[in-house]
Amino acid sequence: MSAILFILFAGLAIGCAVSMIVQRNPLYSAISLIGVFISLACIYVTLAAPFIAAVQVIVYAGAIMVLVVFVIMLLNVEEEERPAFRLRYLVPTAILFAALLAAEASFVIFTVQTSPYQQAHPSASANPSEVGLTASIGRGLFTQYLLPFEITSLLLLMAIVGAMTLARRASFLSPNVRVVPGAQVLTRQTVDPRAVGDATAIETDSTIEAERLLGLENAPHAKDRD
Amino acid sequence: MDWNFVLSIILQFTAITVAFTVVLMIVAYTVLAERRVLAFIQGRLGPNRVGYGGVLQPFADLLKFILKEEIVPDKSTKFVYFLAPILAITTALMPLIVYPFGPTVRLPFLGDIALVIARFDVGLLYVLGITSVGVYGIALAGWSSNNKYSLMGGLRASAQLISYELSLGLSLIGVVLMSGTLDLSGIVEQQSAWYGMRWNIIFQPIGFIIYLISAIAETNRVPFDLPEAETELVAGFHTEYSALKFALFFMAEYVNMFTVSMLATTLFLGGWSGPFIQQLPWLGPFYFLGKIIFFLFLYIWIRGTLPRFRFDQLMNFGWKFLLPVAILNIILTATLALFGWI
Repeated sequence: MSAILFILFAGLAIGCAVSMIVQRNPLYSAISLIGVFISLACIYVTLAAPFIAAVQVIVYAGAIMVLVVFVIMLLNVEEEERPAFRLRYLVPTAILFAALLAAEASFVIFTVQTSPYQQAHPSASANPSEVGLTASIGRGLFTQYLLPFEITSLLLLMAIVGAMTLARRASFLSPNVRVVPGAQVLTRQTVDPRAVGDATAIETDSTIEAERLLGLENAPHAKDRD
Repeated sequence: MDWNFVLSIILQFTAITVAFTVVLMIVAYTVLAERRVLAFIQGRLGPNRVGYGGVLQPFADLLKFILKEEIVPDKSTKFVYFLAPILAITTALMPLIVYPFGPTVRLPFLGDIALVIARFDVGLLYVLGITSVGVYGIALAGWSSNNKYSLMGGLRASAQLISYELSLGLSLIGVVLMSGTLDLSGIVEQQSAWYGMRWNIIFQPIGFIIYLISAIAETNRVPFDLPEAETELVAGFHTEYSALKFALFFMAEYVNMFTVSMLATTLFLGGWSGPFIQQLPWLGPFYFLGKIIFFLFLYIWIRGTLPRFRFDQLMNFGWKFLLPVAILNIILTATLALFGWI
């Protein structure tokens, strides 16, 4: 039974992975990648590791891929034009690495029958159902693997701080600067809604400064601007 | 392959079919109840012509959805366009299988069975995982329709779901800290002490309120229904969907309402537990459904009462108020649990 399920989900994962590479539309690639993650989660369930499976779905399929899809949708990325095949020397390299990977995989399949953990603790295989469960993972994270856990947390914290710094770079400018995206040259009709058709240009990147330069500072709408 | 295995698989399929049928029937009548209650709130009558007092209205609506013409936009991305409603309804229905509907009951010929389809060690995480995948239905629908209103609705929906998922997940951690398990059946069994009244809401009032608010946002309901704000976006992500595909989105929304109400009931209101549950285990499913129906009524009531948020208010509220309060609730609960006071 578990063999059937494994073949089903492993085939699905490989199929989705191939489809991810072959697809030209970036959104189709993203959907295929979601398929890969969900198939992997199903394999984890058959391996009696439900916690890893749930976390796999929540983190990869649910959070990271949502952001990827979000960006693809927001930028409205078109189907990529297939470029002329330039990097020809990559083909033999790829074949070499594929052969290496296949050799590695077959080495693991044919020679390593028990994992290093089981070799060290022969009694652990007596009740293997304990390993993937939530309580045992939590206990392991906060006792035996505390240092890697804390280091990973610190790494994530650094990434968050870095992202915040990059995103808030705009706030280093003075607070009343309002950049109109893509319009460094403002016209009078952009600044003053009453002056339709007046294309007197003014070169600034802040509507407030443009108003000052155009002498509209005391215009009635300027004060109740948000 | 022995007969017990085959029998258990047949039992599982029967249980899933029964559960899905019951839930879809309740969902159909939630739609009717929403129309009647809203009408009552607004001083109207609502649909009362099909059947006695309108009881056959859901079936009339379904028939209409089936018979309507299917319109597919010419420039849409066909595969994704058809995939989106399927994803929406599948991810809405999938969490149903881990909820305990009642305690262990005695059935003729089958002996004692627990009224839960699949008891899962990480039931809560499973529910959260499926919910987080559910956003793709809406996001892809918005993208594939090739319509600016749909795209705006899809983008709004993804942003909103990502933001409120955080506070939703964090509001549940208090309950997990108290019960020490992620298994939904285990969480309910702990709440059936004190004659079935040891509900987690007594110990986790802040978590419950945060969960309630985030759950309304997660299901795109008023006052958080910005992805389908009809005054700004026509109908949001499902503008280009017609006939049965629209019905699938519609059903998915109401099934989602049902499942978040189930989660609220299971985690905060004691699930199937209640008075006299030891003597009469069959009361369990009725307690469970009664509590869920209370939540569904609350949803309709809120819809009839509150106006819609603005999008920046929604984001500020989620990130700058709900999330910090949820984190504070975790710290408070963890401190109390550390000293053994709860």
